[in-house]
Amino acid sequence: MKIHVYAALKDYFQPEFEVRGELVRNTDELKTLLLTLNDKAAEILSACRFAVEEGFIDNAFKLNEYDTVVIIPPSSGG
Amino acid sequence: MNMTPSSSSLPAVADSSVAPPALSDEPIDMVGLLSLAHHPGAGAVVLFSGEVRDSNRGQAVAFLEYEAHTAMAASMIAEILATARERWSLHTAIAQHRVGRVDTGDTAVVVITASAHRSEAYAANKYIIDRIKHEAPIWKCEHYADGTKEWGNNCNCHTVTGDIHKHIYE
Repeated sequence: MKIHVYAALKDYFQPEFEVRGELVRNTDELKTLLLTLNDKAAEILSACRFAVEEGFIDNAFKLNEYDTVVIIPPSSGG
Repeated sequence: MNMTPSSSSLPAVADSSVAPPALSDEPIDMVGLLSLAHHPGAGAVVLFSGEVRDSNRGQAVAFLEYEAHTAMAASMIAEILATARERWSLHTAIAQHRVGRVDTGDTAVVVITASAHRSEAYAANKYIIDRIKHEAPIWKCEHYADGTKEWGNNCNCHTVTGDIHKHIYE
């Protein structure tokens, strides 16, 4: 599973990386896995939105190992 | 999936036959965008320009760097503009946001609305900029004069609403 992160999340993770997708079935499990990589990201991850194929997803969305998941920190445009 | 980062080349202004691009990595041509807003049925045109201040929370700002998920931001801004056009019967609704480096005093975002009367143009303009600031996947990094930097001023509505998809507009 490919992961892309933006903005402040790049202070915690590489902009693009891969995780073992077979261990991740939903966004809660993805967050848990990411926290094993860097537990300092807990606060910002709790505020992030997740997207697949340019659409936002919630925890009910079933992820598969070939998905590219975009993790979107809170907006700060303007 | 289009994962184009903010470094892609994005034109600042389109011609009047097509909607201006929602994101630009060149300085925003405010006059050019305004020239697209005039409409014979519009008695009011409102232009909001969000500009880069030279200070943030007491620290001197050198410049801002904006990053975006280009495809999602453009799609969301298009939806926001379409919703505003419908809700306020606008003749024109334009929004363009910068990506990349924006120096102090320069324009980071422009929203232009045109309607028959001013109340609709003002209300719609506020609606558009509020939603862009809270919802569009665009982020600013403050680069301070002392050489430090900080991703900042994030939407934190979720701390009140309990839902990262629900926002409180001013």
